[in-house]
Amino acid sequence: MKLLEYKAQELFEKYGVPVMKGVVIDSIDDVALKISDAALEYPVVIKAQVQVGGRGKAGGIQFANDGQQAQAITEKLLFSDLKGFKVNKLLIVEKAAPDKEWYLSIMLDRLTKCPLIIFSALGGVDIEETAKTDPDKILKIPINPLLGIQDYIIRYMLTKTGIDKNLFKDMKIILKQLYSLFMEYGCMLAEINPLALDKNGKIIALDGKVDIDESAMHRLPDIMEFAKTLPASPLVKEASEFNFLYITIEEEGDVAVMSNGSGMLMSCIDLISKKGMQVGAALDLGGGATAERIKEAVRIVLSNKKIDKLFISIFGGITRCDEVAKGIKLAMEEQKENKTVIVRLEGTNKQEGVEVINSIKGSVITVDNIPQGVKELSSGRCV
Amino acid sequence: MSIIINENTRLIVQGITGREGIFHTEQMLKYGTNVVAGVTPGKGGQTVLGVPVFDTVKQAKEETNANATILFVPARFTQTGVFEAIDADVPVIITIAEHVPVHDMMLCYHLAKMKGIRLFGPNSFGIISPGKSKAGFMAHKIFKKGNVGLLSRSATNCYETVFMMSNEGIGQSTCIGVGGDMMPGSTFADLLGDFENDSQTQAIVIIGEIGGSEEELAAEYIEKHITKPVIALIAGKNAPKGKSMGHAGAIVSADGTGSAENKEKALKQAGCHIAESTVQIVEILKDIIR
Repeated sequence: MKLLEYKAQELFEKYGVPVMKGVVIDSIDDVALKISDAALEYPVVIKAQVQVGGRGKAGGIQFANDGQQAQAITEKLLFSDLKGFKVNKLLIVEKAAPDKEWYLSIMLDRLTKCPLIIFSALGGVDIEETAKTDPDKILKIPINPLLGIQDYIIRYMLTKTGIDKNLFKDMKIILKQLYSLFMEYGCMLAEINPLALDKNGKIIALDGKVDIDESAMHRLPDIMEFAKTLPASPLVKEASEFNFLYITIEEEGDVAVMSNGSGMLMSCIDLISKKGMQVGAALDLGGGATAERIKEAVRIVLSNKKIDKLFISIFGGITRCDEVAKGIKLAMEEQKENKTVIVRLEGTNKQEGVEVINSIKGSVITVDNIPQGVKELSSGRCV
Repeated sequence: MSIIINENTRLIVQGITGREGIFHTEQMLKYGTNVVAGVTPGKGGQTVLGVPVFDTVKQAKEETNANATILFVPARFTQTGVFEAIDADVPVIITIAEHVPVHDMMLCYHLAKMKGIRLFGPNSFGIISPGKSKAGFMAHKIFKKGNVGLLSRSATNCYETVFMMSNEGIGQSTCIGVGGDMMPGSTFADLLGDFENDSQTQAIVIIGEIGGSEEELAAEYIEKHITKPVIALIAGKNAPKGKSMGHAGAIVSADGTGSAENKEKALKQAGCHIAESTVQIVEILKDIIR
C-alpha cells in the first residue's frame, strides 16, 4: 500500500531521517495561524496529498510567500480534484534551498531477492526518466538481508558517484535509518527524491514515497489506522472485510468471474476476453473458503449493477466444492434480480457440490469445464 | 525416479493439530504419503491419526529421521516455522500459506540457500509425485503416474491441466507448485535441471503468469541446459496494468516489466512450445508424447 507523502515523512522523522519542518492541514480555516503555530518560515511549499505521480506538473505543488497567499492557495487546492484524485489533505513545509539534489531509494528486488539500494546524483527527477536518459548515472547495490548495511557499501556508493567523502558519516546515518524503516515496516519501496544537501551542509529528505507490503500490515497498527483514512471503492472494501480480493477489470464490463485461485481467475479472464466479451470484475476467493463466506462473495459481486453474468470456476483442493455450492445456494435464495450464474466445480467433494447446485431454483447453470462455461456466457440463452 | 519427493520421503507436518493440518494429513496418509511426525508447540506427546506429535521440528527429526516438512500454519507463523525447519536441517521445506509477508520469505530464502536447503512456496499447493507421495493439499485423485514434469505458479491452472492430461492418459512424474508470491523459495530455473536429470520425465510443462522475471530466467536456463521438450503457458494476458491479480507476484509494472508478451517471446526463442490455454497444453503434449 502506497503511503501519502505526509505519512512517509512521519516515518522518516520517526527513524531520524531529517525532513523539512511542516504541518498537515485538512480544513481551510486559519491557514496562516496553523503555519505560524508550526513555527514555519516563509516562503512555504503547499503540497496536495494524493497517491499519484506527476502532481507538481498538475498544479498540486505551489509556493506561498505569506499567510494570505497560503490561505488563497489552500482554498483552491484543498478538496479539489487532481488527476482524478480528491485532495483531502495538504502538507505545508518550509521551502528548501538545496545546494545539491540526489535520488536515494531501497526497493525489494524480485530478481536478486534482496533489498536493492538505488542511488543517483541526479535527484529531483523521476528515476525512470534518468534510467532512459542517463542509465550510467544510476547505481544499484543489492544488500544481502542477512548482513544488512555495512560501511563498505556506503564507501562504495560515495566513491562510485564521486560524492564528497566527508559526507560519509551523515550518509551512513541516513542509509542505515532508511534501511531500518524499510525492514521494520515491510516495505516494497522506501524512496527519498530528492535527497538534498542544503547550504549548511546538512542532508535532508525533501520528498518521499513509501510502499508497504499489505501482507505485513497486520503488524503495523499505525499503518492500519492510516489505511482507514484512504478512499477505497465500496466493493473492494466490502470484499476485503471477508478477506477476498475484488478487482475491477474494465469499468463497463458486464461479466464477473470468481475463482478459488488467482491463476484460474486470470485464465478465465483471458479466455472470456478472447471471445470478445468484457470482464467487469474478478473476485479471488483464496483457499479454503466456507459456505458462509462464499455466500457473501456472490452477494458482493452481484451487487455491482453493471454485472449481469457471473462465472464461478472452482477447482477444489483446499477449497471444498460442497462448501462452495452451499454458499452459492444461500446467496441465490436471497438474490432478487434475475442475474445468471454459471458454475463449474471440479476437485475435492465435487459430486456433493454438483448435487447442491442442481437443487437451486432459478438461473444457475452448471458446466463441466471452463471452455464450456465461456461458451455458455457468450450464448444468448444466459441473458 | 521423479524429483524432490518420492516413496522414500519421510514427511513432517508442522501445524498438524489445526483444522487444515488434520484434514490434509488424513488426505496425505490416504494417498500413501509416509507422514512420520507432526509438530505443534505445546502439543508434544499427542498423536493425530496415528502420527506422533512433537513440540519442535528438531525433536521430530531426531525421533523419526524425517527428510521433508510441510507447513500447514497461518501466514504470520510461516517465517518462524521455516526458520525452525532450516535450523533443524530438514532438506526439503514446503510452505503453502497465502499472504506471507514478502520480507519474511526473503530472509527464509537467503537462509535456506546458504544451507543448501530446498525451500518451496509460499502460496503453493505443494508437491506430488503421483503414485508415490504427496506433500500438499492438491486433490490427488486427478493425478496419474507418468512422464510429464510440471511446474506451476498457480494451483488452479495446474489442476486444470493435470485433470485433462490424466483424462487423456498422460501421467505426471512430479508436479510442483512454485507458488504465486513475489519471492518463491524455488523458481522454475531452480527446478528445470532436476527434471532434465530425471529419467522418468520425458517432457516438462511450465505454467507461468504475469509479473517478475521467472519465466525469462527459465528461458535462459532452457536454452543452455534443457534438451527435453518444454511447453509453457503464461496466464494473465488480459489483466490490467499495475494491479495485483490475487497472487502477490502477478503484477505488470507500469513500464511493462513482467508482461505476458515478454515472457512468451523469451520462452519461444528458447525453443519452448507456447500454449494459449490449458486445453492447448494437453493438445501439444499429445503430439509430443505419442
